[in-house]
Amino acid sequence: MTDHTHCIRTIAAALAASTALTGAALAQDGGTIQIATHYNQDQMAPLLACFDRYTEETGVEIEFQQASYRDFLQTILTARVGGTAPDIYNIYSIWAPQLASSGTLAEPPEDVASWIRDSYGEGTVGAATINGTLYGIPTELSVYQLFYNKKLLAEAGYDGPPETWDELKEIAAAITEANDQGNITTAGYVYGPSVANAVHIYYAQMYNAGVAPYSDDFRTTNFTAPDSVNIIARQGELFADGITSNSVTTDDFPAGRAAMMIAANWQKQTMQEAFGEDFEDTVGIAPIPGDGGDPGTMLYSFFWAVDSSSDMQAESWDLLRWLNEAQGDADLSCTGQMLNDLGALSGNLSDLAAMPTDDSFTAPFVEAIESGAAASQPNIWQAAENDRILRSYIEQVWAGTMSAEDAMEAADAEVSAILSEQD
Amino acid sequence: MTHDRSPEARAPLTELSDAPRPTLAQRVGSKSVAPWIFIAPMLVFGAIFFILPLLYAGYISLTRWNGFTAPRWVGLGNYDYLLFTDPRFWDTFWNTIYFAAGTILIGVPLALVLAYAFTRAYGQAVWRSIYWLPYITNVVAVAYIWQFLLDDSFGLVNRALDAAGLPGPGWLTDPSIAMTTMILIFVWMQLGHNLLLFSAGLAGIDESYYEAARLDGAGERQLFLDITVPMLKPTLLFVLITNFITGLSYFVLMLVMADVAPQGPIKVTGLYMYEMAFSDQRLGRAAAAAYILFTVVLVVTLVQLRVFRRGGVEAH
Amino acid sequence: MAIVQASHRSAILWRIAKYGILSLGAIIMVVPFIDMFLGALRSPAERLARPPVYWPGDPQWINFKRVFTELPTLNWLWNSVYITLAVTLLQLVTSSMAGYALAKYRFIGRNMIFRTVLGAQMFPFFLFIIPIFFILRYFPLAGGNGLDGVGGSGFLNTYTAIILPFAVTWYGVFLMRQFFLTVPDELIEAARLDGANEFRIFWQIVLPLVVPGLATLGIFVFVYQWNEVIWTMTITRTAPDLQTLPVGIYLLRGAFTEEATKSLQQAAVAVSVIPVMVTFLALQRYYIRGLMAGSVKG
Repeated sequence: MTDHTHCIRTIAAALAASTALTGAALAQDGGTIQIATHYNQDQMAPLLACFDRYTEETGVEIEFQQASYRDFLQTILTARVGGTAPDIYNIYSIWAPQLASSGTLAEPPEDVASWIRDSYGEGTVGAATINGTLYGIPTELSVYQLFYNKKLLAEAGYDGPPETWDELKEIAAAITEANDQGNITTAGYVYGPSVANAVHIYYAQMYNAGVAPYSDDFRTTNFTAPDSVNIIARQGELFADGITSNSVTTDDFPAGRAAMMIAANWQKQTMQEAFGEDFEDTVGIAPIPGDGGDPGTMLYSFFWAVDSSSDMQAESWDLLRWLNEAQGDADLSCTGQMLNDLGALSGNLSDLAAMPTDDSFTAPFVEAIESGAAASQPNIWQAAENDRILRSYIEQVWAGTMSAEDAMEAADAEVSAILSEQD
Repeated sequence: MTHDRSPEARAPLTELSDAPRPTLAQRVGSKSVAPWIFIAPMLVFGAIFFILPLLYAGYISLTRWNGFTAPRWVGLGNYDYLLFTDPRFWDTFWNTIYFAAGTILIGVPLALVLAYAFTRAYGQAVWRSIYWLPYITNVVAVAYIWQFLLDDSFGLVNRALDAAGLPGPGWLTDPSIAMTTMILIFVWMQLGHNLLLFSAGLAGIDESYYEAARLDGAGERQLFLDITVPMLKPTLLFVLITNFITGLSYFVLMLVMADVAPQGPIKVTGLYMYEMAFSDQRLGRAAAAAYILFTVVLVVTLVQLRVFRRGGVEAH
Repeated sequence: MAIVQASHRSAILWRIAKYGILSLGAIIMVVPFIDMFLGALRSPAERLARPPVYWPGDPQWINFKRVFTELPTLNWLWNSVYITLAVTLLQLVTSSMAGYALAKYRFIGRNMIFRTVLGAQMFPFFLFIIPIFFILRYFPLAGGNGLDGVGGSGFLNTYTAIILPFAVTWYGVFLMRQFFLTVPDELIEAARLDGANEFRIFWQIVLPLVVPGLATLGIFVFVYQWNEVIWTMTITRTAPDLQTLPVGIYLLRGAFTEEATKSLQQAAVAVSVIPVMVTFLALQRYYIRGLMAGSVKG
């Protein structure tokens, strides 16, 4: 799941705070900048403190709006349609083509653009670039790897993670337990209920097999490639063999009821909260098992963007640059500090260098980024819609109602038709 | 509107007698002007929120539009795409039919049997309140209540089935039964409503028919089949067809359940339309889908009107 | 004699079957609510146990307090109450006015208008979601818009956008017309002879006679509007401050993915259900009357 787990403790406070900010804005004349993110009040805490400092220094008021990840794109689009869009939003890179093609995103001024190119890794800048135009400042990087529960594996007699898919299947089968009704109570391997948990896993496995899911010009797919069909067919086997089922999801991993899943590093905070002191002894990270070649995977990125209809564009870019550069004698920028507290990785080179990333959980993710094993998720046209279509076909293979060949062929036809819509 | 007309302008037409000229207030409060004032809010509203939207949606359906850049005229292209190219539209359409038909096939007989027992039972106010609880509960609450009840391994339903030695299906997670689960939940929500409609119809059947049949030695089953069902035909038709139309238009439960259930099987046309419009910003195509579905609802409604006239339901 | 005995026995059997069926149905109606209630009281440890503990050993009543302190429930509740009451009041006014005109006056076009009112009820709401959204958004002179309907955000992100589309319902007009039909014409004529103007007749003489009708429509609208989700969600997606209880609970679902937080979610759900249940139970006889007037006896 790419859905960041939200602590709810302070949502009421968030609401009160945003009202208070609106009220305060009336008193000042530096203008008000609205910022929307999918991070909640708790997660935003370091940034919110920075907002206050910025207001003190410049007189510009900052209003924070939160929308949950699942609804975020729809919320921005609806706000945009409604003429009520925030000035700045933190968006998932794959949403960018849709937003850029409708003229929603503002281009950064030249000085900001060159600063971005100097301060961020090449792959990350690519994630914020559509058709050669750079649209924002990259923030959180997420990479997919295999998560495994060391204790569950040890109980079943395995002291290390699987290196190939066949091993994964063998270990998962040994761990899976079902009740009298045949419903799985402890799962060897889990997928999840969200789009990301079907589609992103598939993409990550594709890169792992050395095949990009889309052609280089993003106008056709490689869904029907033999490796692709094979990946989906193997997923279907896990369901057919009763090793996993729709009854269990990635939410069961932090509950200790699932032994393995392919997931992204932003789950760190969730895992730390769930396992407490046992975190490092329980959660293991390993490369995605395949057929034994070089391990590849996928990374995706969020980035700060400015709305083209905002009447505070220049002020917004100023604010963003301030938030993404270390201020005073701090090691991390404000954004970097927030990402660090989340256990997330930053695309900002100096932030990444200043983050402690050598713990056993984080190191494999950083290794995948630095070695170039992680390929950036392609910013395709109508990505959210295509992902949904792809998911529905993958689910049919899981359910056994379609063969992997037929499903991927049908998905290819539909997605290709949408990709060919772009001018 | 009526306020604008000056009394002077119309005076020669209306004032031919010796009576003093009516004041503006009297004129506005007169029998000929007052009804227009009474009905004005409805007419204004009807123009802005009924007629205009229908025309506007018709126009949108002939364009390609994302909601903020200029719409592009595509003629009947959206209809053509949905009906003849889109592989998904017909899937959602048959899902819709399956849902609507399922709700009446399961819901109506249940409501009928319960209403029959209900009209002959003591404590009607209590029974009624109980059966109405789901109907007055918001759909978000209904969805979450059932998500917990139907959890595959630990929900109350499967635990109860397990205790009885029965298998526990994946009510919401198994693609082959997820839609049937939607039907069952919807029936649960609507049961009290249909029960009340039937009980009103049953109350209209003269008790003397039953007495006569009892004297002839008829049992309860015969009474139900020989007297109740035929006498209840108008109500039965009304309930069947209004339920079917409601079923065709319904999608909120599926929208709220979409987080936990598999994507394809529970996607009805209404939900497909909503996603097209508000997730994928394909407003033209969504408006066309809405019009196609509406055409189906309209045809069913017109059939309903004919059937009702023959079936003896007045005023419809 | 044998026949009498047999029918006596079947009468007893029927009585058992009758209450048996009703009771079984009633259990299925009520148990889900009890399950929700028990869930709201379960502690995180009980939820995480495998299998989870069903009966809360240490009822977490505090969850019902946390619903108000940790979630924006008070704000949601206020929005629900405000929107529901506003819509109810508006509909009572518009429906009784239009219903009275259609029931008690003869004027050009009356029959056509009435047929439109009947016919318009056939148009399902889904047809209107998209066009009304944009009509409100491009409404001239609203929310910073110019005469041409652009420039601002129209009625979006205002209570007006949530309330206005429900200000008149065809069903409400139809229902009130049915109630006004029962008022004798002689009464109105007598008042006219006494020199009362039409508005006074409506306000002082006729309206008091249809108070049960108003109560019926009122409870109908109240229940419907309290539970309305699809429109309110569409229009308040970008305005969390305006969300109602059901919509707020739905859009906050991302906060409840962890097993330990689910008790709080169930408590919030319970809170969203209770006000409408209380209102309904208090006024249900009016509801039932409206149902009858609007359906078979129409």
